[in-house]
Amino acid sequence: MTSTPALPPTDDDLNAYADGQLSADRAAEVAAALARDPALLARVTDVRAQNAALRDALDPMLAEPIPERLLEATSAPPAAARAGLPRWLRPAFAAAATLVLGVGLGWLGREVTLERAGTPTTFARAAAVTHALYSVDQRRPVEVWANEEKGLVTWLTRRLGVQAHAPDLNAVGYALVGGRLVAGNDKPTALLMYENADKERLTLQWRKSGSGSGTGEAAFRYAIEDGIGVFYWVDEECAYALSGKLDRSQLLAVARVVYGQITAAEVSGRH
Amino acid sequence: MSTAEAADGLPRPELVAALPRMRRYARVLTGDPARADDLVQDALARAWEKRRLWRAGSDLRAWLFTIMHNVHVNQLALARREAGNVSLDALDEDGGWQPSVRGGETQRLELAEVLRAMGRLPAEQREVLLLAAVEELRYEEIAAVLAVPIGTVMSRLSRARERLRGLMAEPAASLRVVK
Repeated sequence: MTSTPALPPTDDDLNAYADGQLSADRAAEVAAALARDPALLARVTDVRAQNAALRDALDPMLAEPIPERLLEATSAPPAAARAGLPRWLRPAFAAAATLVLGVGLGWLGREVTLERAGTPTTFARAAAVTHALYSVDQRRPVEVWANEEKGLVTWLTRRLGVQAHAPDLNAVGYALVGGRLVAGNDKPTALLMYENADKERLTLQWRKSGSGSGTGEAAFRYAIEDGIGVFYWVDEECAYALSGKLDRSQLLAVARVVYGQITAAEVSGRH
Repeated sequence: MSTAEAADGLPRPELVAALPRMRRYARVLTGDPARADDLVQDALARAWEKRRLWRAGSDLRAWLFTIMHNVHVNQLALARREAGNVSLDALDEDGGWQPSVRGGETQRLELAEVLRAMGRLPAEQREVLLLAAVEELRYEEIAAVLAVPIGTVMSRLSRARERLRGLMAEPAASLRVVK
């Protein structure tokens, strides 16, 4: 096989190569052809530049606030959830569900208490206090600055014993300032600070949650502590809190981006 | 991924996490933000009806894309039957591509230009570009979402890229008012 000369790259080869979807063997052949032919290389570079331009143009859509009706549509419709109920009772359940959603937090429409997930509700309180302490600090808000992001993530991963992720919030107008470690009740808490063009700061804090207590389902809650809004949730490994002096809907929009990126990073990390 | 969810429902946190991407795909399909959200809502309802077909642990996003693509295609077919042969591509000339872009004016214009050029591609080319270049799905996953052979995915992708390159290379066209 190795003695057979490689076929010249086709259009499909170049596209797949640019997208990182060629088999390793074929990719090596295409790479060799690209090294010999600058015109082919330019085509691959073009495709990659186009991909990047499309992502830059379309990614901001992901940060847009999500209409309430779509959040509600992620819950099982009453017909699916209550199929076992007598027909005459269903309207009553639908009305009750609407009421619950109306007075609920609107994020998932359902709350699982943080206590059940092994995290005291004081996490939100602690997060708000920590946010208030460091976000006003002009000279030393963080221990490690964003220019050492890679080292920062590695350090926080090591200290917490769980893979850290630094969400990219540029699409919603916040740049990473840096991070630090904060003493928690019994476990260390990681803190990342972000800042927008108006010097308003957000902090994302997380710590490992109790072992084996995760329900496998994130629960989102919102609290206002001393004028600081906090969205907090728990996933399989960690409890998270996003804090800032934003109104609820703005903070929710950022929380969605954070949640989406962390979930995506964890899913891809598992593969 | 809890087994209880898998048995009788869909994992809601993952559904919520998929919403922004569903909305974006719907926007690319319909070219109109309001119609896009209607499509997402219809697709979610369909997903709940079909929840037993989702295999727990598989990629929920790709599954939701598949459902949304089908709902869209069915709605198009229905609209065509009802209104004669209306090309839905004709409906999204310009309207849906309102970029929400932060940053400086120059950057904003560049991104708006990309969106405008993309808006001038046929819907099937926009769709395959989004799935391959932006969502970075594998070609075989895209083929499954669109229910077409993988060769069709690759030829559409190739044509879409070629055409987009052409559209973005014509500087005068970007300033022309599309009537």
